[in-house]
Amino acid sequence: MANRAPMLRIGQQDLKCRQGCGFYGNTQFDGLCSKCFRERNDKQRKKQRASEDHEALYTGASSAGGTMEHKSPQHSLSLGRAKPKKQPEKEQPHNETPTASSTMPRKKFTVPAVLQKTLKNKLAVPQQPRVPSATEKQFMLQLRQLRIPDDAKRKLKSEIQRLDHEIRKYMNNNSTKNVDELSDLVQNAYTRVADIVHNDQRFEIATNEDRDSAIDFFEKVVMTQNHNLLFSPYFTTDEESDIKVQKRIRQLSWITAKHLDCSIDEVNAEARDLVYNAISELVGIDSYYSPQEKLLCTVRCCRHIFELLKRSTGGPASADDFLPALIFVVLKANPVRLHSNLNFVNRFTNASRVMSGEGGYYFTNLCSAIAFIENLNGESLSIGAEEFDALMSGEQTYSTPWESALLACESLHLISENMKCMEQLQKRNSVIATGIKDFERELIEFQREVTEKVDTVMAKAPLTLLPIKTPPFLISQARAHLSQDGVEAVAGHYQTNLLSGGLGQHQLSAKSKEKELATHEDSHLEAAHTLALKDTSIGSVGRLSPLHQNLPQPDQLFASPIFNYTPFDAVSLLEESSENGDVLMLGSEFQGGLTNINYDFDLSDQSGENSVADESKLNLDEFDPLVQQRQQIASTVPNSAAELSLLDTTTDSLIDCDVPLAGALLPSPLKPEVANYRGFSNFDIPSISCNTGDFSSLNQDVNDPGVPAPSNK
Amino acid sequence: MSSRRTGAGPTLNFKAVLLGEGCVGKTSLVLRYMEDKFNTQHLSTLQASFVTKKVTLPDEQRAQLNIWDTAGQERFHALGPIYYRGSDGALLVYDITDQDSFQKVKSWVRELKQMRGSEIALIIVGNKTDLEDQRAISYETALRYAQTVGAQYVETSAKENEGVNELFELLTQLMVEHYGSKQQSDTNALRLQNSRLAPNAGAISISDDAEADQENGHAAAAHRSCCGI
Repeated sequence: MANRAPMLRIGQQDLKCRQGCGFYGNTQFDGLCSKCFRERNDKQRKKQRASEDHEALYTGASSAGGTMEHKSPQHSLSLGRAKPKKQPEKEQPHNETPTASSTMPRKKFTVPAVLQKTLKNKLAVPQQPRVPSATEKQFMLQLRQLRIPDDAKRKLKSEIQRLDHEIRKYMNNNSTKNVDELSDLVQNAYTRVADIVHNDQRFEIATNEDRDSAIDFFEKVVMTQNHNLLFSPYFTTDEESDIKVQKRIRQLSWITAKHLDCSIDEVNAEARDLVYNAISELVGIDSYYSPQEKLLCTVRCCRHIFELLKRSTGGPASADDFLPALIFVVLKANPVRLHSNLNFVNRFTNASRVMSGEGGYYFTNLCSAIAFIENLNGESLSIGAEEFDALMSGEQTYSTPWESALLACESLHLISENMKCMEQLQKRNSVIATGIKDFERELIEFQREVTEKVDTVMAKAPLTLLPIKTPPFLISQARAHLSQDGVEAVAGHYQTNLLSGGLGQHQLSAKSKEKELATHEDSHLEAAHTLALKDTSIGSVGRLSPLHQNLPQPDQLFASPIFNYTPFDAVSLLEESSENGDVLMLGSEFQGGLTNINYDFDLSDQSGENSVADESKLNLDEFDPLVQQRQQIASTVPNSAAELSLLDTTTDSLIDCDVPLAGALLPSPLKPEVANYRGFSNFDIPSISCNTGDFSSLNQDVNDPGVPAPSNK
Repeated sequence: MSSRRTGAGPTLNFKAVLLGEGCVGKTSLVLRYMEDKFNTQHLSTLQASFVTKKVTLPDEQRAQLNIWDTAGQERFHALGPIYYRGSDGALLVYDITDQDSFQKVKSWVRELKQMRGSEIALIIVGNKTDLEDQRAISYETALRYAQTVGAQYVETSAKENEGVNELFELLTQLMVEHYGSKQQSDTNALRLQNSRLAPNAGAISISDDAEADQENGHAAAAHRSCCGI
């Protein structure tokens, strides 16, 4: 209901910027619009700076001192009179600054005359915004219009300033504050002023009317200027009461005119308008500063109610009709800061005002209406206590045509709002749904593609593992070696084999093969190579690899990359190398192998046969059908090449058991060569270049089966 | 209490409340009184819950009478103190044909005595004497009761306009008397204001101002009643 009030509760004028620039003002900005407020702030800052400077100047120039008002030519008497609020404020800083700046003036005198003049001008300008706040101007005007002698005006002004000062002093006092004391202070001042106005010589020629208006003026000015201090002071519980009452009224929203037995016709449009007018006025009470204005507002509100009652009852309304109607209006208006406003008026208006007069009567009625609302129970609404409780808690709803119409309107509005919201949500939802679908499709597509590719690759390059065939003479050699060597040495050979096999490098394995031969590795060799193969298969092909099925040996299972790498640290190599000469050789070879790991990461090669392929294309070409073809072609190469050259490797042997390895097992003379290579480079960093150089040459050799192994050297 | 505008003012301000059950004729009494005096008071046509009236006291002193009507419904009974706070007189109205309303008056009297003691002038009003044949409370009963509680007793008929003016004259007179006695014994004033008023609120200064304001008074009175102050 309140939100449908047809009238503005606050006049347009009150909302506008006080500077009169036409924009809306803001209470936070002192009633100014943001622009004017900023301007004023800037000016004040400037002024402060300037006045500090000029304080020094002036105190220096006119050693007589005196107050600022006397110095400033802007401050005519009438102007000064009109700003009683500012006076004490202004004086306080001035009392302090002279002491601070007393040492300054001498310095300032050195400022050239021209500069001083400009400074003076600057001082004159910022003085202006201090004076004319709209209300102060108004008061100034009103004071002029008071039909009392000038002497009396001056006296009145000084009284205003005095009370003003007293209030501020009380508020700034640190001791515990009591609002009753404050109220007494103000009331005593009223009495004093009334006494002066009626008995003082200066007011002698004034009429009683004028005296009353002088007293009213006094009250209005002081209250308006100190409104922020006196209204709902922080040391009272006014604010809490405000909230309590507001809550209570909200709870009582179900109360209708019928409950209160008042003759307001809620359905009648005309009556409703009047109720709205009354509500507007009632809510407007909060927007006024002085108690008089608040009371006047109350009176206006009540007049609307009487108008309303007159229409419905047909005659002059009595209090019997009036009070329920007022309660109804208060309930429907739920004005803000109700308690604060009432207390403010009660405490700080001239006591006689609330005790008599129309304003007082209506105000009293308002007070009693609120008292009634606060103590409301089922009995006072002639309904049962249980029903009252139910209605209060919201369990039960009470509806009348009016209320339900309002409710229906509001509900419809809410429904439409929600519908809009739902529509938006639906749109977004569908967008998300389509996005999900697209993503799903993409995922499936991607999965399909990947599977397809893998399948084609697998189909093109099937990996078939053949059992290792070790030449019989090698076995015998290895057995002989085993019988000689310790376990550590054997382990070292494992590594070599692992490494070479793992890399799948034809060249490397060729080398390692040589080493193996040199160390007479045999039966372990087999295992090592299978392990290495296992590694590669896991690393590159994963579960899709046919190796799984094809690899029969159970000892593959424990093979892991870690297994591969652990022994490769230089220290262990060194240790090993210290044990015997053979191992030392192996160590160097290892290092070559290590570098090969870093260098050729084509562990992904499915088998040794791939190693024949062009090194540069290794990984990426795996899925390239062309490369695959080439690989297939190449894979056949070593088979034939191995026969011809000495490059046969274990991997090769793994892949192709048919390859006779006899030729490949000859390279024992290579050993010193390797040692030499090692010697050329430093120990720690194995001769990568050498090896790679070697390998590349080997590679070429491999690619070109026509070139025999001796090119290695 | 502090109902006077100022002690030195030309007019005394008196506030009187009308208390009583609903439908006993409080409003009718007020309306009758106002209507009879100022025949076409436009104010009274709007509302009858608050009226002011300028009266001239027997000693040529002018006073303003503020009469506050109160809602008589039982549910508003508890609000009484808010109204009679600071009032100089109270009219306790009952319907002579209605025993309940008389009981209500008794409860009001008790309350007033408790809250205000003797600072308030009490008049018990038996209204509707035009309905003599339905009378439920005899004149004697009411009078005796009034005397026991220190109140005046008046019977009126708002309908027939019997005793209404007399009632209000009596009220004014009582309030002036109360005021005078209060001024003398006003030692324990609640506010400093009151104690400040006391010394210069004597009859002399009042009459002085009253004399001076005699010419302006008429214009002022008309003006004031206009806006109901």
